Amino acid sequence: MAKITIDEKVIECRDGVPVLQAAIEAGWDIPHYCYHPGLSVTASCRLCLMEMQLPHPKTGEMGWVPKLFPSCQTPVRDGMIVRFDSEVVRDNQKSCMEYFLIDHPLDCPVCDQAGECYLQDYSQKFGNSKSRMVEQKLVGPKKDIGPKTYLYSDRCVMCTRCVRFTEEISGTHELCSVNRGARREIDVFPGMPLDNPIQGNVVDVCPVGSLLDKDFFFKQRVWFLSGTPSVCPGCSTGCAIRVDQNENTVFRLKPRSNPGVNDWWMCDEGRFGFKYIHDEKRLTAPTVRRGADTEEVRWDDVPEIVSFRFEQHVAKHGDDSVAVVLSPMMSCEEAWLLVKFIRGIAPAATAVTGFVPTVGEAQHFPVGCDAENVKFTILPEKCPNRRGVELIAERAGGETCGFDEFVKRATSGAFSAAWIVGGYPEAWVPKEMTKVVKQLETLVVQDIFANTLTAAASLVLPACAWVERDGSFMNHAGKVQPFERAIRVRDGAKRDGQYLFEISGHVGLYSGDHVREMMADEMKEFANIGDAPPKPVHQH
Amino acid sequence: MAWKTIDRNEPAFDADAPNVLSDAVREKIRSFFPRYETKQAALLPALHVVQETLGHVSFKAMTEVAEVLEIHPSQVFDTLSFYTHFWTHPKGKKTITVCRSITCELLGGREVLDAIKKHLGVGEHETTADGEYSLVTEECLAGCDHSPCMLINEKLHKRVQPADIPKLLADTDNDKLDMPRSTLFDAPADVASDGASVTS
Repeated sequence: MAKITIDEKVIECRDGVPVLQAAIEAGWDIPHYCYHPGLSVTASCRLCLMEMQLPHPKTGEMGWVPKLFPSCQTPVRDGMIVRFDSEVVRDNQKSCMEYFLIDHPLDCPVCDQAGECYLQDYSQKFGNSKSRMVEQKLVGPKKDIGPKTYLYSDRCVMCTRCVRFTEEISGTHELCSVNRGARREIDVFPGMPLDNPIQGNVVDVCPVGSLLDKDFFFKQRVWFLSGTPSVCPGCSTGCAIRVDQNENTVFRLKPRSNPGVNDWWMCDEGRFGFKYIHDEKRLTAPTVRRGADTEEVRWDDVPEIVSFRFEQHVAKHGDDSVAVVLSPMMSCEEAWLLVKFIRGIAPAATAVTGFVPTVGEAQHFPVGCDAENVKFTILPEKCPNRRGVELIAERAGGETCGFDEFVKRATSGAFSAAWIVGGYPEAWVPKEMTKVVKQLETLVVQDIFANTLTAAASLVLPACAWVERDGSFMNHAGKVQPFERAIRVRDGAKRDGQYLFEISGHVGLYSGDHVREMMADEMKEFANIGDAPPKPVHQH
Repeated sequence: MAWKTIDRNEPAFDADAPNVLSDAVREKIRSFFPRYETKQAALLPALHVVQETLGHVSFKAMTEVAEVLEIHPSQVFDTLSFYTHFWTHPKGKKTITVCRSITCELLGGREVLDAIKKHLGVGEHETTADGEYSLVTEECLAGCDHSPCMLINEKLHKRVQPADIPKLLADTDNDKLDMPRSTLFDAPADVASDGASVTS
């Protein structure tokens, strides 16, 4: 830990970080565009300049140097004395802001970034209220640079964060800065558009409204959105995300910084993969089968129906004929409640880790880098909680097995009752399951969409998307990460956690934190994991 | 819906267009590799070689240079577009570069430029119909002591007067250099001090 003095206040900071990073972490609001902790330093925006004390070359006496230093490029040194709160620094910030706005079109009313734009924020805080520019502005072109992104170069401040992102993080090099001086602009090589699996991040790193997400384009003013910290369920990496919603509609997902898991990034698959939560075809009400027909039942009756069916079944066929298939899309809390409930009725029931959707191989970024230089990984396991569910099945004692083995054993008639949980965004039921369902006398299916399983089930319980639930996922590395509820469930539906809570005989409202506390008595992995995911150290 | 945008997804050339860089040019670019630690560092010499051979560096040529240097074409485009020296579209046989900086401006540089425009019937950044001359202006040619001055290819013409223009442009030898040209961008054969083959 180095001790440095900023504006006459002594702070402790991590060794080797730039002064800018140390100041931001200690609570200073230092304007900056080109600096991003995940990218290399270029020190080109000149907004973060500071004054520094150095020994006089002749006398050795410490004094303020009559020039400014870029704080993003100056690493902290023990005993360093710097200041941002001075006339010279403020003058520089003011001049820089004036310069950034020289060619800016000031089209905030029609700009998607307005409200979360650092040109707006810094103009208000560090800039001038008027522009002295009277000459004709240079208007940069608006470009369609790829399947998911627009580039409005008239709004660009040339921080080159996006170019450095494609060079250093994605390793795909699509973006470049062409021309020189006032006519410099971000571009792609014609015919080689920005198109890589993590391209959405260039929109996030852009501090202004220059890079725009086509998916979010003109959809919503950002001040109407409220964000909820969450965890991406797209793969077992478990990226920390923020769910931005307005009036119960999710408009976009943004990554939050989470060192060691996703740093500052997320992939497009996760970013744009939330559309299914607003699908009209989703199941919303519990239904029971009566002969060839199905009939909606009241939620209040569900605990009784479920308990009755399973108790009757166990009495008739014995408790080893029951299987519970825990989906890796479930949260740890839900899986724990369900396995406890089933084992309560049928102690010898088999706990099965559900179907794990796997696509291709792990994709590492930068593309083609060595194993030790990997900055971001998209894992092939397209579910968030395989490890958590496996752990819960294992710790619950009794028999456990994988999904393939379950299918094999169930086909040969080992089970006659099952509770199968789905909850996958895409069609998932394997063909072999048609043989399995024929063997099952009692079948409870908990899923988001109707499929062959729900058609054969004696009781169908609608599952909710992760944004409607709260709980925690355990990622591929065994890290338990809690997520919060972002939107309300659909009319008529109920959160999975809530009905599992009620079925298990608990009274009151389900809360992920509460259930996690109960779990922590048996499993220390779930103790003290914090109420909310870690706070971002760097907002933009 | 968006405002009118330029579509950058459209390729600048046909996918099945024939290669524009000959094997000899590629070999010459490769001969610069031993000079530098990385292949990417040979980008500027490579661009000079291409411009000297083809007269300009087209988008097709950029992708081929990128292929030889094992970098992304956008990196070639990035560097190339920084320098006004490089042309991305065909230019005339000879390039006239007129100084538009302050000394020449004061001593009649603008009149020289106007005379050239009038004589050739082209504007700035344009090429004559016969493909003989391209006309550009540049900030300073470092010949302020001989103002107004202009370049024809690499030959500096000093104290040019508007009246001299027709005669000067009619002269076929008006780009002939008085002294030998710099060999900086000709890869010397003996650059590899460790005895390795220069073409490796």
